Amino acid sequence: MDDQNLPDDETLVRRTQDGDTRAFDLLWQKYSPRIYALIYNMTANHDDANDLLLEIFAKAYRSINGFRGKSSFYTWIHAIAVNMTINFVKKRGRRFQMSLDDLDANVQNDKEFIDLTATNTPIREVDLAELQQRLNEAMMKLSVEHRAVVTMFDIQGMPHAEIAKILGIPEATVRSRLFYAHRQLQNYLEEFRKK
Amino acid sequence: MMLDDQQLRKLLRLKRYEQPPPGYFERALEEFHRRQRTELLRRSGIQAWFERFASGVWSFRVPTYAYGAAFAAFVLAATIIGSGVWPPFTQTVDTASDLPSVATNPGNRLALSGNLDWSKFYPSLASPRVVPTLRPSQTALPRYVLDGRPVSYKASFSF
Repeated sequence: MDDQNLPDDETLVRRTQDGDTRAFDLLWQKYSPRIYALIYNMTANHDDANDLLLEIFAKAYRSINGFRGKSSFYTWIHAIAVNMTINFVKKRGRRFQMSLDDLDANVQNDKEFIDLTATNTPIREVDLAELQQRLNEAMMKLSVEHRAVVTMFDIQGMPHAEIAKILGIPEATVRSRLFYAHRQLQNYLEEFRKK
Repeated sequence: MMLDDQQLRKLLRLKRYEQPPPGYFERALEEFHRRQRTELLRRSGIQAWFERFASGVWSFRVPTYAYGAAFAAFVLAATIIGSGVWPPFTQTVDTASDLPSVATNPGNRLALSGNLDWSKFYPSLASPRVVPTLRPSQTALPRYVLDGRPVSYKASFSF
């Protein structure tokens, strides 16, 4: 079933609360790619992202009877995902290895990629694999809270208001974290160019 | 040349092309089902009930009007108790048996105060809150005092 043809979240949640496990599978189908991308970009490790994805959905399934619909299911499950991933990354500490997913070959046809490589930017001088490595290394130098905001805003394209709801912080804080994270990323990527 | 904000955003958006292998989400769903079944078998009924209960407790939200109702109840209780209509902490003595045994036991009476008639300190059962104040004679000052009552009027060297 396509995501467009799926019943709305409210219906799926109600059916899950009534014991229909198939409804929860549809919620999985709808949200697992986004949740996976969120975790993956915060952990830079496929295996960790895989484990966390399963744990997050297990927690959501266990707690779904307590979901009263005061926020959307989208916000609710993203909040669970961000909080669990932040806790995981803090426990993991600095000792970890990146295990990156493959970069889709279509990236080379992306207009933004073409624009970036055509201009005089640091990425003009690196190949795709190196670019991916450098981007992820730069992301990993951010604090996990800043990484979460960058992931949701820049990579996933969420609006500030939605991010603020998910993190339970004011929108102004989201903006200031983004500003600070962008400055840091610009500095890190500049360092790469000098290497 | 440093990346400007726009370029940085474009670069970050390229991370959307980092994708898990094809078929990953279907396999992950199967793994999710497998783990759920294992967990169901492992967990006892009590654990399942407790989790559901805890989930319900954590998700419980106190309605806004409950704070107002609680405050109103407090004010009402304070008013009733403060006005003396219903004094909850007043001790009442219903029968003579509630009096301290020292007052009814003549032996104790003698031991504590010689021929002191304690019954005059309990003139009425209706006013049990009266606490007797003993005034020892000027010639025999008390040596040992417990609870404000003289234990003995005799000089300490006499025992």
